[in-house]
Amino acid sequence: MSDVTENQHLKPIDTPVPAVAPPRVRQFGAVNWRGLWTLYHREVKRFFKVFTQTLAAPVVTTLLFYTIFTVALQSRVGTVGTVSFTVFLAPGLIMMTILQNSFANTSSSMMTSKIQGNIVDVLMPPISPLEMLCGFLGGGLTRGFIVGISATLAMMVFVDFTFHNPAIILFFAFTASTMMALLGMIGGIWAEKFDHMAAITNFIVVPLSFLSGTFYSIDRLPEIWQTVAHLNPFFYVIDGFRYGFIGQGDAPFWLGALVMVTVDVVLFLVVHRMLVTGYKLKS
Amino acid sequence: MTDRPELLLGGTPAARRFGLLNWLGFATFYRREMARGFKIWKITLAAPAIRAVLFASVFGLAIDRPDVTMGGMPFMTFLIPGLIAVAVLERAFESAAFSIVYDKTEGIFGDLAMLPLTPGEIVFGFVSATLTGSLMVATVVGAALFPFVGLFPFDLFALFFFVGIGSLMIGFFSQIAGLWAKKWDYINSVQTFIFLPFVYFSGVFFSLGSLPAFVQPFARANPVFYVVDGIRFAMTGQSETDPLFSALVCVGVVAVFWAISFRLFSVGYRLKS
Repeated sequence: MSDVTENQHLKPIDTPVPAVAPPRVRQFGAVNWRGLWTLYHREVKRFFKVFTQTLAAPVVTTLLFYTIFTVALQSRVGTVGTVSFTVFLAPGLIMMTILQNSFANTSSSMMTSKIQGNIVDVLMPPISPLEMLCGFLGGGLTRGFIVGISATLAMMVFVDFTFHNPAIILFFAFTASTMMALLGMIGGIWAEKFDHMAAITNFIVVPLSFLSGTFYSIDRLPEIWQTVAHLNPFFYVIDGFRYGFIGQGDAPFWLGALVMVTVDVVLFLVVHRMLVTGYKLKS
Repeated sequence: MTDRPELLLGGTPAARRFGLLNWLGFATFYRREMARGFKIWKITLAAPAIRAVLFASVFGLAIDRPDVTMGGMPFMTFLIPGLIAVAVLERAFESAAFSIVYDKTEGIFGDLAMLPLTPGEIVFGFVSATLTGSLMVATVVGAALFPFVGLFPFDLFALFFFVGIGSLMIGFFSQIAGLWAKKWDYINSVQTFIFLPFVYFSGVFFSLGSLPAFVQPFARANPVFYVVDGIRFAMTGQSETDPLFSALVCVGVVAVFWAISFRLFSVGYRLKS
């Protein structure tokens, strides 16, 4: 008796199953906005989950660098050009942390996905190479900007910032972050192991950013090295960014802007080509 | 074939006996730890040298006058011993902690916990590898920085002592941090928020005398200061405190860290749950 009542709900349903049309291929407009947004959202969540490492640590490191260079050198260097050493130093340090974090975000994301084998999660969804590129790039830019703004706010406690031209500051922050996010993707796609990535960071990214004129004016260098320094895109980034703050630089800022736009466009095309052909991703 | 013929004859296996130290186990463990560091020598040996050269270059270029002094000596002479100290201490921090956290997250720590090694032998094995690695880093970095000033060690014995004691201090600290860390995030946090501030404010880049007076007592409470000051004495013959006092402080701190690490390994803190 009780069995019957308990199993009442298992009786076959008499109502007819409505006819369903066979599934069709989904259609997207020119851009798969939802796919792009989802990838971007994942990229941002990735670094927010470990914010002590990705956001707090860079700010602390920047402040440490600022302190040691200031305590060690302020009274011993005095002024660079017409500004005091600290005012000269601060924009360069902010830019260095933007550069390193934009690079770290895209490269580590690519690298981790490849090593753990979940890169297919990005390759299989219906998003075009261009959308994939923009999703990753967006993540790198977001981290670069959050870190850059936090570092600026933290340093405002110690430095009398002047904002000579905010538009130029933003322009260089944007183009620099783009450059490094794209380079991070190239590195992440190319590298096969974490060792390779560490080698790129230690032997290319860190030396280029240290020797870019963050800590000294480039005209301090011997003639030959000045020419070499002008070939380093990091130099234009730091110089242009600093120009936005203090209104003086080693190179004209329009030249820096031109270099940066060119570098970004070239890198964009390279990464796009890599994703279209599936270099080292689809074998 | 074997040193225990009774097993071949079907006798009852007896518990193996070790002397005061399980030399074979210790040597095997030491070799594994060394091999780990050597496999990525570009990161463990070449990268520290490059970083030290970069630091020396940017400080050298930022200073426009050759007569700039720090702590009573030319600035670059002051800086070079500090950079050697930083390289040694960073290497020491990254040795045991990274091994332990890697093994824990990969779930292979049992490979070590199951061996007939006493906690004392494990602690000693880790720190021996740390010490060897640090001495190698000191040599490589010292050679890479030599062209900047052409500085020869003032007292080779003191240099060996302070590089060694600094490496032991941070090596034991690294073991404690590695045991405490449950994930990579933890160890990175310890590095950024504890280790680096202690090292950067230890008088590597500036003499404590150039700090504001009210900060100086705190700066002198930092044990890393005594390592750096000792290494600077060994390289240049000048220091901010008596090197003998520095040596005593270092030995004391090392003893405390050693005891803590030994205790944590003995109880299996965050290892055997």
